[in-house]
Amino acid sequence: MTTVALEPNPLREGLEQERVPDASCLVIFGASGDLTHRKLLPALYSLAHDGLLPAGQTIIGFARPDYGDEAFRADIRKACNEFARTKPVDDAVWENFAKGLFYVQGDFTEPEAYNRLNQKLTECDRTRGTGGRRIYYLAVPPNFFPVIAELLGAEGMVTDPERGGPYTRVIIEKPFGHDLATARELNRVAVTTFRERQVFRIDHYLGKETVQNLLVLRFANGIFEPFWNRQYIDHVQLTVAESIGVEKRGPYFESAGIARDIIQNHMMQLLSLVAMEPPVAFEADAVRDEKVKVVRALRDFPAGHESSSAVRGQYTAGSVLGEAVPGYRQEERVSPTSRVETYAAMKVFVDNWRWADVPFYLRAGKRLPKRVTDISIHFRPAPYPLFKKVAGVRTQPNVLAIRIQPDEGIALKFDSKVPGPTVRTAPVTMEFRYATSFGAEPPEAYERLLLETMLGDSTLFARRDEVETAWAWLDPLLHVWEESPEPPDPYPAGTWGPPSADAMIERDGRRWRRP
Amino acid sequence: MSDNIRDAIAGEEVRVDYNSIEQTLAELWRIEKTEGEAVTRAALWNVVAHASSSEHHTSASEILGRASIAVPQRTIVIRTNPEGPPEMAAWISANCHLLGAGKQVCSEEISIVAGGDRVERVPPLVHALLIPDMPVAFWWVGDLPHENEAYVRSLLGPADRLIVDSVHFDSPEDLGLVQRTGERTSTPPADLNWVRLDEWRAAAASVFDPPSMRGRLKTLREIRIIANVTDIAYFGESVEALYLASWLVAQAGMGVDDSGNIPDLSCTFEFRPADTRGILRVDLEMDGSSAAIERHPERCVLTTNVDGQLNVPEALLRTSRKKVDELIVRELKQPESDRLLMKVLPSAIRIARRRSAA
Ligand SMILES: NC(=O)c1ccc[n+]([C@@H]2O[C@H](COP(=O)([O-])OP(=O)(O)OC[C@H]3O[C@@H](n4cnc5c(N)ncnc54)[C@H](OP(=O)(O)O)[C@@H]3O)[C@@H](O)[C@H]2O)c1
Repeated sequence: MTTVALEPNPLREGLEQERVPDASCLVIFGASGDLTHRKLLPALYSLAHDGLLPAGQTIIGFARPDYGDEAFRADIRKACNEFARTKPVDDAVWENFAKGLFYVQGDFTEPEAYNRLNQKLTECDRTRGTGGRRIYYLAVPPNFFPVIAELLGAEGMVTDPERGGPYTRVIIEKPFGHDLATARELNRVAVTTFRERQVFRIDHYLGKETVQNLLVLRFANGIFEPFWNRQYIDHVQLTVAESIGVEKRGPYFESAGIARDIIQNHMMQLLSLVAMEPPVAFEADAVRDEKVKVVRALRDFPAGHESSSAVRGQYTAGSVLGEAVPGYRQEERVSPTSRVETYAAMKVFVDNWRWADVPFYLRAGKRLPKRVTDISIHFRPAPYPLFKKVAGVRTQPNVLAIRIQPDEGIALKFDSKVPGPTVRTAPVTMEFRYATSFGAEPPEAYERLLLETMLGDSTLFARRDEVETAWAWLDPLLHVWEESPEPPDPYPAGTWGPPSADAMIERDGRRWRRP
Repeated sequence: MSDNIRDAIAGEEVRVDYNSIEQTLAELWRIEKTEGEAVTRAALWNVVAHASSSEHHTSASEILGRASIAVPQRTIVIRTNPEGPPEMAAWISANCHLLGAGKQVCSEEISIVAGGDRVERVPPLVHALLIPDMPVAFWWVGDLPHENEAYVRSLLGPADRLIVDSVHFDSPEDLGLVQRTGERTSTPPADLNWVRLDEWRAAAASVFDPPSMRGRLKTLREIRIIANVTDIAYFGESVEALYLASWLVAQAGMGVDDSGNIPDLSCTFEFRPADTRGILRVDLEMDGSSAAIERHPERCVLTTNVDGQLNVPEALLRTSRKKVDELIVRELKQPESDRLLMKVLPSAIRIARRRSAA
């Protein structure tokens, strides 16, 4: 069966929103949860506020508590007032938004609940023009994914244009598995009910403007790409630092650790975007084909010598931003003898033509001095040290720093002559800041990603092979760490990680950049 | 000089020698760098505003000062009076605003006032003051000058965009002048009256987004537009409604003939005297379906409603009467001016001529 493409709407020509999704029913599984309240519904409300949702767009919350539609709406309004980018809630916008907001009570494991949900969906198709189009957002612990997928399939709630029906899409949240085996199992379950093109794996980093700007910076400008290789680049550093600890997510973190929580997903995405080859088109598969090649080219950690290129740490009591904070083992619902890493630093190599022998230093950690995500490209020094013998001249390599959050921007550091009769140099920076140049606050990552799902564009979502390849690379190291009798290296909260991480990079004659 | 410069940083207008505007600005930023706290200078545009009266000059300066928060820019406001005494004077000041965390973002404003034969010296002076590698927007404040085309053309030389606001136009011939300027230069002109229509266009487009409605635009048979105007006799106030009708006609694939009529389509306007102007309601009749788009007077929203056997729920779009600086910001945030305006202008002019003849 072929689908007939609709003719474009001529009134959309030249408008900011050239593509508008068709109205659909978005079902949020786990509608009483934290993610729904802090991110999903505030993002949907902001989209409605900015006029980006189609008329008739319908949102159905599905969870256990015994709410009615009205109680659910009141609860969500409160959440939007607290968390939406476009807060406080505007009465007129809310009134219209709330008309499309419903609640269905049920347990994820109860087939009857799916029946009720399906009836509601069919009713919405009739009253709100949603035409059988479905998006299931699984804001649920990952162990529920198989049962939800199975019951959706069994109840006939999944359709596909290629089989003659309207579309069904499913959005899943990280973690995408605990290791390669569980990720494969999750993906295997997914494909029994859905096809890969129907699955949208959210990595909210990809919804960030600055992350998307990496592609623009590299491939819309002529000047960077010629230098973007081993000939000119000495090394690359990627930092994802958080100042917070594990907060209330102790049990989750105990089963994950920072490598699973940040490095396997967010950092792999950043690394892929920095290192990928130009895609043949700005289309979902073309972009993701190039990204996965980077992960595939990652060199294995040296067996038996993993610690030479991977370091893990765990924070002890200290102080962050002036506040005294407890150590990880003293956190709520964390084992007092836990050996889970809250910090990891790695030296990795992308073994391909462009990047051969260029180290990429990655580090991620909790309870570091500040919250910052930053990529820095460190260039090789000038080929001949012309000013070496001149007193007062200390040339430094050029650095291109890309700040992902907060205070998003790009800075280029280079040496300049200090004005005066003698030759003295000092490093200066040329800076671009989003806030200064573009003023307005960018949309939240979840807004962009929800809209992309409604439009059916999966460019900004992780594909199955990306996820599995990243696990295949990281798994052996995680295994070694789990088997090791050594605990992670301690570091006081509020410092940049354990001394072993500094030693790792200093052995190569380099230093961590202070982001 | 330093005291003067401190005043300029504080946002005051400081008179400077027009031969050394650029040097004085450089000094201003040097002082700010060494003495000031975390100041960032930013510019994405050169914006040149042309005013012909001191009221226009003051309001252009205020409007662009506000606009520079969202679109940092070097602002150059010029006021000329060929009939005035032969003089030329210049002032500078800084437009600064706080970005949070004590950081200030500043951009600069230059004012030039010239009279008599000194007016001819203004275009080269303005050209010399433009920041290189930044686009140039030229905002003609008020009505368009039909006389002195050579002067206008030399001013517009480096412009990447010409911005006008047809709400100040007093006849359809002014629209004709905008069209001719657009045809003669490489950049199509931008009209703030067209930018005012953004939400109305989005709302009208949303009516035809559902697959079941997609084909119906081609069957458009009637357009009725009701708008408030503050001066019923003034042509400029009707342009927004004329643009909206002409756009619907053009995008529906229909044409307006030379006498201003649209074959097989009835197009009517109702203008109501009121304290504030703006479109209130648009009704569209298609084969087998009708749609209404309405602005709620207090709630700042547009609602669309599609009747008939189709079951499309009410949609809603937030809107508010945009201030001129917000319209300018919107326009400058576009990578290029909307070429659709050039498609709409000829029809709007024809309908306008028919209406003024009637
Ligand atoms: N929160 C975040 O910021 C964040 C960030 C990234 C990824 N994620 C991922 O997003 C997912 C959801 O996270 P969350 O923080 O929102 O979790 P959460 O607060 O624990 O919410 C889980 C939701 O699932 C519901 N639920 C659990 N068991 C159920 C059952 N048997 N039947 C029906 N409903 C059931 C809960 O309902 P009850 O109220 O009845 O328990 C609740 O609505 C997880 O996979 C998480 O890893 C979350």
